[in-house]
Amino acid sequence: MNGTRGYHPGLVDLASGQISREIFVNDEIYAQEQERVFARSWLFIGHESQIPKPGDFFVSRMGEESVILCRDRASRVHVFLNSCRHRGMKVCRYDDGNTAVFTCPYHGWSYGTDGALVGVPFFREAYHSELDKSKWHLVEVAQLCCYKETVWANWDASAPPFLEYLGAFRRFLDLILDGWDGREGQAELIGGVQKWVIPCNWKFPAENFSGDTYHNISHRSVDLVGAGPSGRSRRDYNELNVARKLHVALPDRGHQTITYALPKYHQPQAAYQNSPEVADYFRHCEEERRRRPGAESRLMGAPGEIFPNVALLPRQPRTLAVWHPKSAHETEVWRFFFVDRDAPQQVKNFLRDYYIRYSGPAGMTEQDDMENWNYAHAASRGTIARRYPYTYEMGMGHAVENWEWDGLKMPGRVIDLSKAQASEEPMRNLYRRWAEFMEAGSWNKLMPWRRMAAAEAQAAK
Amino acid sequence: MSYPINIRDLPVGARVMLATGAEVEIVSNPEDGVWLFGRYLSSADDPAMVGQEDMIFAQDVVAVRS
Repeated sequence: MNGTRGYHPGLVDLASGQISREIFVNDEIYAQEQERVFARSWLFIGHESQIPKPGDFFVSRMGEESVILCRDRASRVHVFLNSCRHRGMKVCRYDDGNTAVFTCPYHGWSYGTDGALVGVPFFREAYHSELDKSKWHLVEVAQLCCYKETVWANWDASAPPFLEYLGAFRRFLDLILDGWDGREGQAELIGGVQKWVIPCNWKFPAENFSGDTYHNISHRSVDLVGAGPSGRSRRDYNELNVARKLHVALPDRGHQTITYALPKYHQPQAAYQNSPEVADYFRHCEEERRRRPGAESRLMGAPGEIFPNVALLPRQPRTLAVWHPKSAHETEVWRFFFVDRDAPQQVKNFLRDYYIRYSGPAGMTEQDDMENWNYAHAASRGTIARRYPYTYEMGMGHAVENWEWDGLKMPGRVIDLSKAQASEEPMRNLYRRWAEFMEAGSWNKLMPWRRMAAAEAQAAK
Repeated sequence: MSYPINIRDLPVGARVMLATGAEVEIVSNPEDGVWLFGRYLSSADDPAMVGQEDMIFAQDVVAVRS
């Protein structure tokens, strides 16, 4: 499918920019989605700082399923399906902790932190020592990647490695994971993981975080209250006066984001004016960042989405969110917050307060979002409502490739929002990729970049 | 039938008797109430186990020696 009518022709019709409500509310499509999308995509599991010591574990999710992120006795990181091989009971029912073994409470089978089956009750007596324990270890993910301390996993051995899956989108993820001063991998998880359930399909928040700038009006009250770190608006975005605001979408990967491109010789803008110490810290970081080589100092992060269900918010608040599907009509949201590891405690405290004020179930901005998603979902489930598709026509035909501004190049398809204000290019990109996953029988069909590289190599011969 | 023993309370170094008659010294206790890690001190039905460390199932523990 390439921009026409895909996934059960007509459900995702990118030629007309129309998408059926069925993909959000249909239980059969949801069930197929678990197999086609979530069992084949790279999914975010957690952060290595959650499991610093051997035996540490954190129970996470992949799609609907519970998984255990743990560090074994040899300090190797693993991700296992949280289900006993004997009768399927969860072998770990805590959120996190430290253990020598994961013991199933049903019949007592027990597994080491490397997943090996180490304890079988009445092994000699009932099994006559005949059970081959080596065949019954915990189910482990096919692929695992630790990238700048974030942990990602994939059930599909044929999927490309994580960094290839990420492609040129890596620079946008780095905006969260690198230090604010530009040093690599300085992010630290702060506080616990916020978890809550919302009554809508997971694609509502995924679409929103893909780069929906059109809905800003729904946050008007937060802007008026002045929830931002300088006591006005929601965020300090003074760079907007000089920046180019962009939608960037990678069609072959399904990742997309808003980003701000700054002029070549921009000056750091004032921020965090409610706290002189915090303002000083970020001013110092911005100056350090600009001294480092590379064009990344000219990028300012904004909401984005790594296909399928990981949302980025690199700046104010600095957070990753995961939209875990629970059913066609329910999503469990997990939100992870980050700060610079070396930041003064006062800065971390200030940011934590701001993050909580902004995001999560009690966050003023996220409450606005949830109200929209939840009611939109409910109002799309009815027999009559399902007959009418949503429109995604905004900005169709206006994206450009090879975008460049004063030496700063952008990958993928770009729409300059500086004048346009909004487009639906990121949403079309999300659903194009979603439809490709729903249709493709194997990863061979989902890696056009490899086909292109092979064709170019062939042509060169 | 003997009363069940709450193995979660057993400290490292405690000695327990198993249903087979073997005696085992606890070397670690994961405190999950299901398993102990122990070293065999005696094992009449399988002498090769003496000195070996193994996982001990809660239902196999019939008495606490010390």
